[in-house]
Amino acid sequence: MKGFHAFCVVLLIFGSVSEAKFDDFEDEEDIVEYDDNDFAEFEDVAEDSATESPQRVITTEDDEDETTVELEGQDESQEGDFEDADTQEGDTESEPYDDEEFEGYEDKPDTSSSKSKDPITIVDVPAHLQNSWESYYLEILMVTGLLAYIMNYIIGKNKNSRLAQAWFNTHRELLESNFTLVGDDGTNKEATSTGKLNQENEHIYNLWCSGRVCCEGMLIQLRFLKKQDLLNVLARMMRPVSDQVQIKVTMNDEDMDTYVFAVGTRKALVRLQKEMQDLSEFCSDKPKSGAKYGLPDSLAILSEMGEVTDGMMDTKMLHFLTHYADKIESIHFSDQFSGPKILQEEGQPLKLPDTKRTLLFTFNVPGSGNTYPKDMEALLPLMNMVIYSTDKAKKFRLNREGKQKADKNRARVEENFLKLTHVQRQEAAQSRWEEKKRAEKERIMNEEDPEKQRRLEEAALRCEQKKLEKKQMKMKQIKVKAM
Amino acid sequence: MSANSMSDPRRPNKVLRYKPPPSECNPALDDPTPDYMNLLGMIFSMCGLMLKLKWCAWVAVYCSFISFANSRSSEDTKQMMSSFMLSISAVVMSYLQNPQPMTPPW
Repeated sequence: MKGFHAFCVVLLIFGSVSEAKFDDFEDEEDIVEYDDNDFAEFEDVAEDSATESPQRVITTEDDEDETTVELEGQDESQEGDFEDADTQEGDTESEPYDDEEFEGYEDKPDTSSSKSKDPITIVDVPAHLQNSWESYYLEILMVTGLLAYIMNYIIGKNKNSRLAQAWFNTHRELLESNFTLVGDDGTNKEATSTGKLNQENEHIYNLWCSGRVCCEGMLIQLRFLKKQDLLNVLARMMRPVSDQVQIKVTMNDEDMDTYVFAVGTRKALVRLQKEMQDLSEFCSDKPKSGAKYGLPDSLAILSEMGEVTDGMMDTKMLHFLTHYADKIESIHFSDQFSGPKILQEEGQPLKLPDTKRTLLFTFNVPGSGNTYPKDMEALLPLMNMVIYSTDKAKKFRLNREGKQKADKNRARVEENFLKLTHVQRQEAAQSRWEEKKRAEKERIMNEEDPEKQRRLEEAALRCEQKKLEKKQMKMKQIKVKAM
Repeated sequence: MSANSMSDPRRPNKVLRYKPPPSECNPALDDPTPDYMNLLGMIFSMCGLMLKLKWCAWVAVYCSFISFANSRSSEDTKQMMSSFMLSISAVVMSYLQNPQPMTPPW
């Protein structure tokens, strides 16, 4: 068995060696073999022609061919050495043959030598025949770019993940002392705290907290920058932007009075005033400076009425706003919050959007894009402010005048809305009425019993007549009134 | 029971479950980048395949990578994978048909 095994191994080795030899034979040395055979017959002639023809080739072909050809020449000359005596004799004997034979050849050497006297134009070998990696430099560049993108993706993703975790670790205690449910993704059967953030994206993390007095719940959204996208990273180099933390507290209806109020950076307030439905309708004035209350110049106020501002700007709130002004982007309290303005294609929506009593906070994480996990601790006082604001919103109530004003404002907004949509609503009502009639007619048609059919038709006719009469009465009344 | 600073503000009986925001308003607010990049990637890979343009195929690969990096976790991974595979196949086919290196347009 061992012997057989060794025999197989030897066979394999022999086979591979012979295969290798064959490979050699496939290319240029095929010709060498043939040439050797040819030259064996016409020794001296072959020698000369063999030595000459490679030389002719040398001037025009590649280096590689050159080297092999030269070797060939050398090999043959070596062979020739052994047969010196013979070649010499062969020379003298075959001289006439040589002349005739070399007639053509003499011309060729002449022409080739004349060619060599003329300037040789060296043509560049085309790129795809060059067999060098350097010609593929663009491809290498592309692949390098892709690798850089992948590296940035991994690094950015990990960075965002670490920041989110650091934020949560810092705020966990405060949240757990204030809310029963900290962390919920809505999929569990029971309302148990998951105790972790929901990852929406590689750069957005959510946290839902619920089970507290005053509010239905609090949704915290960590909106980090897209550190995992290289294009975004490059764009941010031109224009520094901050990571943001958005907190949305949904209040119970009985726990918040009716007012709309916002404070924040001037730029943010201008943008919000344009985008948000409630701010554009109830706070039509431009953002006012908060210097009157001792706020820094960077912050401005948008309010439905002065009483609200006075009520909101108590000492503690002012303390928060002045100390953390650089981290505050916007704070928005509203009982009419319905999100940004919805731009519908078919004109105005037919119904006023649903509103919810909400407190919205947008904070900028310090670091302006280059945030570190330890920066998250700086946001803890802001969360305290959120909790304080929630309690304050519950306590703050408008006086009688303020309430009247607020109610008037809301009625005004509703009226405006109804006026705008009057035509659309009329059309909608008309189409509904026509639809109803059509359904009735169909029912009558489908009725198989002829008696019943007749009765239904009569009933429909009577209805129509009544309506016509009513209309006529109305027209008469209007005419009388006009007169 | 009033919620003064001494007592516990937590109310276990008032717990509300998390409801993901309705999807009809979301598409408008959401970042459209992954969808655009996906579409661009497909267009470029088709151009690269049909017109045998190597640079189109490479741009398609980049587009599908960018789309993947910006995608939401709720999005279908099949869509991402299919656009990615298409762009890779565009690159491979361009080089199989024509092994010459890419020439810069300038």
